[in-house]
Amino acid sequence: MNQNSSDYLLEIKSVSKSFGELHVLKDVNLNIAKGEVVCIIGPSGSGKSTLLRCINFISPPDSGEIVFDKVSWRSYRSKFNVLANFRYEKKLPALRAEIGMVFQHFNVFPHMTTLENVSLGLQKVRKMKKDKAKEVAAQSLEQVGLSDKLQVYPDQLSGGQKQRVAIARALALNPKVMLFDEVTSALDPELVSGILDEIRRLVREGMTMIIVTHEMKFAFQVAHRIVFMDQGKIVQVGTPEEIRNTQEPRAKAFLSSILE
Amino acid sequence: MDSSVPLFDFAAVWSSRTLLLEGFGIAMFCATAAIILAMIIGLLIALMRLSNSRFLRGFAFVYTQLFRGVPLYVLVIWVYFGLAIVADINLPKIPAGIITLALLNSGYLSETFRSGILAVNIGQSEAAAAIGLTKRQIKRYIVLPQAFRIVLAPSGNQFVDAIKDTAILSIIGVPELMRMAQQQADLFYRPFEFYTTAGILYFIAVMGVTKLFSFIEKKMNRIGFTNGSQKVANVGEYI
Ligand SMILES: Nc1ncnc2c1ncn2[C@@H]1O[C@H](COP(=O)(O)OP(=O)(O)OP(=O)(O)O)[C@@H](O)[C@H]1O
Ligand SMILES: [Mg+2]
Repeated sequence: MNQNSSDYLLEIKSVSKSFGELHVLKDVNLNIAKGEVVCIIGPSGSGKSTLLRCINFISPPDSGEIVFDKVSWRSYRSKFNVLANFRYEKKLPALRAEIGMVFQHFNVFPHMTTLENVSLGLQKVRKMKKDKAKEVAAQSLEQVGLSDKLQVYPDQLSGGQKQRVAIARALALNPKVMLFDEVTSALDPELVSGILDEIRRLVREGMTMIIVTHEMKFAFQVAHRIVFMDQGKIVQVGTPEEIRNTQEPRAKAFLSSILE
Repeated sequence: MDSSVPLFDFAAVWSSRTLLLEGFGIAMFCATAAIILAMIIGLLIALMRLSNSRFLRGFAFVYTQLFRGVPLYVLVIWVYFGLAIVADINLPKIPAGIITLALLNSGYLSETFRSGILAVNIGQSEAAAAIGLTKRQIKRYIVLPQAFRIVLAPSGNQFVDAIKDTAILSIIGVPELMRMAQQQADLFYRPFEFYTTAGILYFIAVMGVTKLFSFIEKKMNRIGFTNGSQKVANVGEYI
């Protein structure tokens, strides 16, 4: 893995990705500094989720490079060298462990209690002893206001509570950056603000974050920079002020359609 | 029919009860051992079918097709007589019977397990990958426990089939229930009574297994998830 001299925590370099004929990401470049909060907005199907999933290689890019904490990562798959594929796959978890991700549909583990959901990664990824892991997991759950739900299975939780478990599960591992993919879109309206408040708390704590969201008001409040994507490309990047007053036609059209 | 001979007479059955129960015990032992073996093999074959390796996928596919496609009657002959002729492997009757049933059922169960694994929402694996679990850990801690819940009921059905299939093992002389019933029926000229008794014993066993599996299922529902199976999603690319 190459050394890199930049000051960015995360660099997305010429990332492209297709699904068959469909070019979902076309040469995307974006740099993110430590402590920065970047919100990604754009119409449905513009590639926002795919971009987030390329960062931790849950959906590996076809080409391009992710430089995370000065280490470069590229997709690798050899048709012939099975051993090399195996070695490559063995490395990816190390990257993912430093990148927390929260999904639209929570994806909490239904066969585990709240506490087990959070402590699993601590035990298996951070190699903590069981007791220590449970202790740290309980702290993490306390931070999202779920101290009284430690022994409960997810099917007894509300959507908002499930999403809190998912946030605690990611944060417990002490990641260097957090990725949020429309984490309030599947929630009942009255539960949205609670989850947004959790993210605001992370903003205050200085967490580096990339947030894909349709909550425009929230995005313009918390973001240091806003990224507007359309048709697989980053069309514009700017401060909330710059984006609000954008003259770029597509961004302007998108914002006026959504702010109506 | 001579009027001095009663129409139904279960006295002979009663006098042969030890033999019948022994046969019943052997049948249950064969079915249980076979289904346990079949679950282990079936899981391995299912994982092969879902692996990245073309070779393993191909092997698993052929395996599944073969043992689902061959009639049990033929399979048992192959294992008992065929192996002896071709490879000079002379298996005792009961092990031969168990292996036969295990092969057949592993073919079916591998398909059940494969679809069970695929029925676990892909988001589960993605979330597990996102916290840094390895592929092996994802399978072990996230996918298989949820798939297990999904395949429980179909596996119970397979067990039931295996119990009834033990009857076929009589053709190689495994002293299981059907063979015992047949021998005693011939001895006493009471086929109806002996076969009916055998039928009732199979029925009781099937009821017992069904009850056992629904008990396990209830127990699993209580500890958490009732909907381990969500919509079938496409296989994640990172796999
Ligand atoms: N696994 C996949 N297979 C095929 N096509 C896909 C896959 N994932 C995404 N796509 C397609 O890629 C395009 C971009 O999808 P993506 O989910 O990144 O968009 P998005 O900007 O997140 O949209 P939304 O706001 O609706 O979440 C869409 O047209 C989508 O249908
Ligand atoms: Mg999306």
